[in-house]
Amino acid sequence: MSLKSSIATAAGKSSYWFLHTFLKGGSSFPGKITKKIDPNILQNLARNYDVIVITGTNGKTLTTALTVQVLKEKYENILTNPTGSNMEQGIITTFLHAPRTKNKRPLAVLEVDEANVIMVTKYIKPKAFVFTNIFRDQMDRYGEIYTTYQKILNGVALAPNATIIANGDAPIFHSKQLPNPMIYYGFANQPEGDIKATPNTDGVLCPQCQHILHYRYISYSNLGKYFCPNCGYQRPELNFALNKIVELTPKSSKFEIDGEPIKIEIGGVYNIYNALAAYTVGRFMGVTPAQTQQAFHQGKSIFGRQEEIDVDGKKVTLILVKNPVGLNQVIDMISTDKDPFTFIGLLNANYADGIDTSWIWDGDFERLPKMNIKQFITGGERYKDITYRLQVAGVDPAKHLVEPDLDKVVEMIPNAPTEKVYILATYTAMLHLRKVFATKGFIKGGLD
Amino acid sequence: MAYTLNVCHLYGDLMNTYGDLGNILVLNYLAEKMGVELTSEVISLDQAFDPDKYDIIVFGGGQDFEQSIVSKDIQTKKAGLTDFIEDNGSVVAICGGYQLLGHYYIGANGEKLLGIGALDHYTDKQKDHRFIGNVVIENEETGEQYHGFENHQGITFLGKGERPLGKVLEGHGNNGQDKTEGAIYKNVYCTYFHGPILARNNQIAKHVLINALKRKYPDADISKQEQLKVTETF
Repeated sequence: MSLKSSIATAAGKSSYWFLHTFLKGGSSFPGKITKKIDPNILQNLARNYDVIVITGTNGKTLTTALTVQVLKEKYENILTNPTGSNMEQGIITTFLHAPRTKNKRPLAVLEVDEANVIMVTKYIKPKAFVFTNIFRDQMDRYGEIYTTYQKILNGVALAPNATIIANGDAPIFHSKQLPNPMIYYGFANQPEGDIKATPNTDGVLCPQCQHILHYRYISYSNLGKYFCPNCGYQRPELNFALNKIVELTPKSSKFEIDGEPIKIEIGGVYNIYNALAAYTVGRFMGVTPAQTQQAFHQGKSIFGRQEEIDVDGKKVTLILVKNPVGLNQVIDMISTDKDPFTFIGLLNANYADGIDTSWIWDGDFERLPKMNIKQFITGGERYKDITYRLQVAGVDPAKHLVEPDLDKVVEMIPNAPTEKVYILATYTAMLHLRKVFATKGFIKGGLD
Repeated sequence: MAYTLNVCHLYGDLMNTYGDLGNILVLNYLAEKMGVELTSEVISLDQAFDPDKYDIIVFGGGQDFEQSIVSKDIQTKKAGLTDFIEDNGSVVAICGGYQLLGHYYIGANGEKLLGIGALDHYTDKQKDHRFIGNVVIENEETGEQYHGFENHQGITFLGKGERPLGKVLEGHGNNGQDKTEGAIYKNVYCTYFHGPILARNNQIAKHVLINALKRKYPDADISKQEQLKVTETF
């Protein structure tokens, strides 16, 4: 390490120590200082590591955590970055406080923001990239799926030897010819037909001839076994495939990958994709299917993001919703509940929620009246929008209560007609509720 | 008497970025209350548009790439769409859909992309700036206020025979200069309001349905339908 890098590292490490000891936090600041002193610092810090970069718009965090869990079966001391530290400076900080290891080639599994892939590959040549998916995120932060993918590819171009492990069901990941070795994972669990995605789905143009893609089957959104009837473009051969879904509940999923039974302690088909991605990275790195099963079983706590909160005897599940694809996955997940429940939808429109509420009209609320829901409550700053959305979806007005004030919504929970309550809330509405739950002692701490 | 209205969801699989589907859902919801049966079908790339088959067209907004593909394909439907509009067909056109009914718009890379010129407006582009935020406008003919959310880089200037959907009370509107937002031409309603304009502004949805009923059933008594009360949803 050069003198410059040594000084930079020392400065970064001491600022990390200082921030953590006295200020509790500061995950990107040390990276900032270090980078100022030595712009090539990442290259020095990471030079002995085998690095796996996980990127995509949805599912990065859980896929990263699961991948680490799976790889632990075979490798020691895996370095990874905490949630939210997925930009350049957070990644520098991650390497700065890496514990010393005797491994000659220690492993790092990094969640990297799409636009920051290039900041990483300028200095590090990863062993593999994982592409989870690309959906449009919050609507008013203007971005298109094609520009997002191009940002990732700009980064990948600096590492042409890295293997790309990609979601084969996403048409965009097969759209450009790349020099990199490719591994695809996907779903192969449904009978084949000839269908199109619903009209409000994004990204359904054939990347080669710009005609509308058809599908043999769809798992959700625009993911599935796609083909173009005009030019023959189609989903690539899958190297690793989910071939059976055995049971879905809101809290767990049982399925088979290449005939191997797997269970994960979290609901939602989108989380099966995350598990499938982690499984595929494991296979790529020599972890056996049996070890992966074991890893998912032992790593139960990783899935703990959707905890059930006891509110005066009611089992309340609070779920963040921020865009149509995510929302539809949540609606799908709660539909697997066998018990009757109460549905609460809370819509705010602050910057962190997305100030444009149009996206609720792309949500498949029309499925709600068909579920075993005994009561509906809508609220939040934009309660009129979400209330009207449910009305148009055909929700029975006799079962539908409206309460704009979130504090009062919390007071209504003990009177819900069912034991189970699902609350779908946008970001600031969720924070508000967590704060109230914390004040009342239903959960520890107000913020994640 | 049983009324039916047929909706053409023009490029519904490509021009759908911001909850545009909500307009179809709301038209269906209100039509049901009026005792009108509504059907809807997507007409997209390589499909013919037959003006005689439809009473209402909903044409949403899309991403740059999708819109550039539609700009090429829509030229093949130009005659049918123009006939439909001239024959007082009802249209709701949003963002990209609005731009494509006019003469041209400027694409992501600065290239000029053609619309069909059925309406006389054209759209230029602001340099590195977008109009983003809530909008409130007033329909100067009816006095109705409409609420919406805008997010656009294009700046549109109205032409012959067009009047604005409303005068801007809050926000930017068509171009940030002349206080106009959207356009009305015959039974065509155009706007930069994002996505579900009809969900937030039930009055416009009602106008669209009533106009379509009057055109299809000129001799029928639709006073009952005209009395439908609409809710404030914003």
